[in-house]
Amino acid sequence: MSYVIANQLTRHYDLSDPWIIRQINRRPKNILTAVNHVSFSIEKGEAYALVGESGSGKSTIAKMVSGLLKPSAGSIHIDGHDLNGPILDGKATHNMRQRIQMVFQSPYASLNPRWKIGNIILEPIKSFRLIADEKQQHKRVAELLDQVGLSERDVSKYPHEFSGGQRQRISIARALASQPEIIICDEPTSALDVSVQAQVLNLLKDLQKEFSLTYLFISHDLAVISTMANKIGVLKDGKLVEEADSAELFANPKHEYTKMLLSAAPNIGVYVHSERKS
Amino acid sequence: MTNPLLEIDQLSVSLQKRKQTLKAVDNLSLKIYSGEILGLVGESGAGKSMTGSAILGLIDPPLFISSGKIIFEGERIDQNTKNIRGSKISMIFQDPLVSLNPLRRIGDQLVETIITHFDVSKTQAFERAKSLLEEVGIDPSRINAYPHTFSGGMRQRVVIALALAPEPALIIADEPTTALDVSVQAQILDLLKKLAKERGTAIILITHDMGVIAETTDRVAVLYSGRLAEIGKTVDVLKDPKHPYTKGLVASTPRIDANSLLEKLFQIPGAMPDLDNIPEGCPFHPRCDFADAQCRKEQPPLFQNRSACWLSKD
Amino acid sequence: MNRFMQSDFFYHFRNTPVAMISFAVFTCIILAAVFANIIAPYNPFDPASLNLMNGFTPPMQANDFTGEVFLMGTDDQGRDLFSTILYGLRISLFVGVMAVALAMVLGVLLGLIAGFLGGWFDVLIMRFADIQMTFPSILVAMLIYGVAKGVLPPDLRYEMSITVLIISIGLSEWVPFARTVRGSTLVEKEKEYIIAAKMIGLNKWQIMIRHILPNVLSPVLVIATITFALAIIAEATLSFLGVGVPTTKPSLGTLIRIGQDFLFSGEWWILLFPAITLLALALSINLFGDWLRDTLNPKLK
Repeated sequence: MSYVIANQLTRHYDLSDPWIIRQINRRPKNILTAVNHVSFSIEKGEAYALVGESGSGKSTIAKMVSGLLKPSAGSIHIDGHDLNGPILDGKATHNMRQRIQMVFQSPYASLNPRWKIGNIILEPIKSFRLIADEKQQHKRVAELLDQVGLSERDVSKYPHEFSGGQRQRISIARALASQPEIIICDEPTSALDVSVQAQVLNLLKDLQKEFSLTYLFISHDLAVISTMANKIGVLKDGKLVEEADSAELFANPKHEYTKMLLSAAPNIGVYVHSERKS
Repeated sequence: MTNPLLEIDQLSVSLQKRKQTLKAVDNLSLKIYSGEILGLVGESGAGKSMTGSAILGLIDPPLFISSGKIIFEGERIDQNTKNIRGSKISMIFQDPLVSLNPLRRIGDQLVETIITHFDVSKTQAFERAKSLLEEVGIDPSRINAYPHTFSGGMRQRVVIALALAPEPALIIADEPTTALDVSVQAQILDLLKKLAKERGTAIILITHDMGVIAETTDRVAVLYSGRLAEIGKTVDVLKDPKHPYTKGLVASTPRIDANSLLEKLFQIPGAMPDLDNIPEGCPFHPRCDFADAQCRKEQPPLFQNRSACWLSKD
Repeated sequence: MNRFMQSDFFYHFRNTPVAMISFAVFTCIILAAVFANIIAPYNPFDPASLNLMNGFTPPMQANDFTGEVFLMGTDDQGRDLFSTILYGLRISLFVGVMAVALAMVLGVLLGLIAGFLGGWFDVLIMRFADIQMTFPSILVAMLIYGVAKGVLPPDLRYEMSITVLIISIGLSEWVPFARTVRGSTLVEKEKEYIIAAKMIGLNKWQIMIRHILPNVLSPVLVIATITFALAIIAEATLSFLGVGVPTTKPSLGTLIRIGQDFLFSGEWWILLFPAITLLALALSINLFGDWLRDTLNPKLK
């Protein structure tokens, strides 16, 4: 059985005017369907990407998979457990939270500006009670910082003392602190410069190998997805219009929308072809 | 070789911070010709937006032009840009939401611009506005609509129409497509290419996206720490970059390719220095694999009109 | 400390005369009040030391009967005005600080709840705030004061005077805190670090106190400074109107009231000196608060 199963995920938003205004203006209800019966599955250790433009529903799906948002219909199963099932009590939900973490788009808004980064990374360890001993906790934080390419001396610094790329690394360290199995990456490099983006993407690749992580990658950038994901789902207006292994998708796109996206994406590949670099 | 439309000659833009004077743009020289699209590419803080602002005369204290000249159509404009800005040189910014007045119909905004720059009647201006809308791909019957009724991409087209209204010789476009969806982005870039070709308008396209550069520009200037690293025809610079920074940038840009999943992206170590931390000599040397003693001591000039690197000397 | 001395904030401070002067003035006044028992030549609250014959002595002139000289003269009961002002400042400042503290704690808490939890909490708290703001705060303070005095048993009224005063002024000033904090909370709660906190499994209260609160406090400092000045003036007003501190322990407001009665009969000093002190205190706090708000405004950086 696949590790992550999204089944007929649907999410409606009620944008209607209040009842009385509707009666006066004789207007019908205004329901926005952000996600419309989307189903996909991710195998353990895989990197699955959801690509789409604004309004495609990809961020909403990310929120539902992470458990932050309840679907209006459909379900999410992680390793066989229904994320929104009634059986789950507080403790089980807490544990489920530990298995899924997220890395966000904005390096500026994803870290609490008033907290030292050592404490930011320590917080999930404390919250999930992973390590009890204080000394061991500090050791673990130092270890995590090292894994993302930062140093132990950085624990007492504040987020504003770091660059955008470094802040994303801190976010990744925080995500890793829970010892998750799945990391949802929501446009993690869209706000970064090209050279920094390369560093962060390479880091994510290394971490996936080292910790056997499963990634759900959300992006609008096909070039970035090409580097990161082995399977891609294309979203348009809340519907999954095509899904394929990445090589297959780029070589033989089937849906009109996919073809349009591929041709529209600004691609340095018009001049530069990748050479096999080892 | 025709005369350049705009020439930037050893321009420096500085920032006075307490007791230090920092350089946001350092000794930059560039030429732009009519009908071409010149890309100004660099990472955040490289000085590309600052250069655009300097051309438009939008440098405000604590920033100031500390040296150099900007020459447009043979005349010096860096000291008095008010007459040129908005008429012969116009601009397009990143966010169409704030570039348009939400309280005014787009037709009114267009007509006002036309009347300001040309001695025509309101009716004539109206007709011109309609033809402008058609040129940028908007249905002219929507001339009386308000900006909020348009999508992001359409709004950016309106902004382009507004930029075209004074019949400028040069348009400075600062990240015009960064906030737009991919499909819309392609349409806007095609529109810019069409305008350069059909009207002969020169366009300076400021961006951080190498893919956009590849698809849209004729020539490209690569900026690093406020200085020009490399300049040349886009096809040359991207296929055969001479400056190590350009090489690194090109190699680290992700591309859509069946093979790219298996490889790691090339990464340039370190990061571009802050304004108050620019090293001596070539600003890129701490991150450069090929740096030698000369690179650490002396700033390289532009060799062969192509690359500011001591290794390009021959 | 060294880092502070080199910071941009301190640099602006050193370069703005208004900031330095106003800071110096109110620091002097506060220190004078704190060390009143050392500086003041007399203790005006000790009825035994008073000599009615000393009453109405002009400043720096020997009294006709006792020959004593007083720096700022005496009031109608023979109290040395200088000492009384110093001790009165203590009461004014104490009431001011405590009232602001109450307003701040209440306002920040309600603002956080309204902003973060939203829904009915938001509606109730904000509409109540709107209603309260339609009344001048002095009126609200008097209302609460009157109700409290009516509720308390008569023997406690005297002792609880100051507490009631603090509560009534504090409760009348919570709204600006709440509104500002609510606004900042609404902005912060959309940010991704809050989502990250949810993903770590923190509950609503933990998120509110640990994560949102530190980030919404900076405007609170400025509001607190300005509210402090307002609270001092409110206390003076209430005392002036006769509903504040008891007359045996006069505050600045009481002195002004007393002085007002005697202004046109020639004993001008009883009104002038307390009034100038009150003016200096309120003005310096306001000016400093204004400067603080402008300097800390991130948009101006």
